Amino acid sequence: MAEELTLESVDEDGALAEALSTVSGTRAELLRRVALGGAALLAVTAAPASAAPSRSKDIAILNYALTLEYLQAAFYTEALDLGSLHGALEEQARIVGAHERGHVAALRKTLGGAAVKRPKFNFRGSTESPEAFRKTAVAFEDLAVAAYKGQAPNIQSKAYLMAAISIHSVEARHAAWIRRLAGSLPAAKPFDEPLSDTKVRRIVASTRFIVQTQRKMHPPFTG
Amino acid sequence: MTDRVFLEILDEAAAAPAELPLSRARLLERALIGGGAVIAGGVLLGGLPSTGSTAPSASQDVEILNFALLIEYLQASFYAEALAKGALRRERRRFARIVGSHEQAHASLIDRTLAGKARQKPRFDFSDTTSEQAKFDQTAVVLEEIGLAAYNGQASNLTKAALGTAAKIVSVEARHASWIRAIVGRVPAPDATDQGKSAAQVSSALNQTGFVRS
Repeated sequence: MAEELTLESVDEDGALAEALSTVSGTRAELLRRVALGGAALLAVTAAPASAAPSRSKDIAILNYALTLEYLQAAFYTEALDLGSLHGALEEQARIVGAHERGHVAALRKTLGGAAVKRPKFNFRGSTESPEAFRKTAVAFEDLAVAAYKGQAPNIQSKAYLMAAISIHSVEARHAAWIRRLAGSLPAAKPFDEPLSDTKVRRIVASTRFIVQTQRKMHPPFTG
Repeated sequence: MTDRVFLEILDEAAAAPAELPLSRARLLERALIGGGAVIAGGVLLGGLPSTGSTAPSASQDVEILNFALLIEYLQASFYAEALAKGALRRERRRFARIVGSHEQAHASLIDRTLAGKARQKPRFDFSDTTSEQAKFDQTAVVLEEIGLAAYNGQASNLTKAALGTAAKIVSVEARHASWIRAIVGRVPAPDATDQGKSAAQVSSALNQTGFVRS
């Protein structure tokens, strides 16, 4: 997933970066600042701040995970609906897609009324051919591993931590699976490094896959 | 134990209800009663973390990381022996070479993290699981699944720093598990979540392999 569109290019006046650096901003302020399509993910999930109270911080992290799961689930569903895949790739998409939908359902149930709504997506052709699908799926799965790993140590609730950990390693299985189907090494390095939420959001924004977020939601960052 | 289906053991362990933390003495007692006949020459694993209810602490990190170190040593030795015996071909050989190097890197990192508190590397006896391909396949799947389940089971018992270290390792174990499952024709990711296993469950499964000899 090339970073064609970076946060910097979207966020020329630095408002997004500023919004991300704190959880103290009001929802209205944040929404006013964040109106750009590709960066819409940034609007629905607050950056977990290091000193925030545990409950609201955990909710922000779970909503961040939920947004990534929405993205993945929609990607696999669309690729299957379009009939773009066959054989081993189709099997991978069917099983992995079901897992991602399961993760969405579990996170939504956990979050209850605090869950962010499903955004609208435009996968820009990546679901339409096996080649584009493989490349994008590898990027998504590796990104999900790094994203969960980046946030797991920040989760305060033991139950939420165990849930996140139990998903984290499944994302790694998915990553290895699709990498093998794409002709890449399933496990290329001895250690998987985490990615910060800021970096993950930047990468997701660069794809422009998220085209719209629904406004009716409980802002996780105001508790 | 080399002729038994290890996965059955793991499945039995998975089916067991959530357990209360067990003392080391209880663990040994249970292993003796439940698995004594199967151990047959192997040694019981000692010094296992009896975690589950106590808050994370530096001393608990040492117990858990030493438990992880044992598993990494076991995995690394298994792949090294299989490669030395020359029984593996093509993708299996590539898998063993790459994954074996990962397990060694994991053991080195944990050993360094533990500084002077790291356990010694035990002796192992893998019997013919490192020389017959079908047994290698089955054993590699089980060792990767055990490692993954052990890390996931201890995640909430670790301090934040140690969790950061373990998290860098556990997803690589998951990649290994997925990879070997694909090689042997099994679904790489069979479930939507990977539930952790308790130290008692993991040690029970390991004890029954008889691989650990000292």
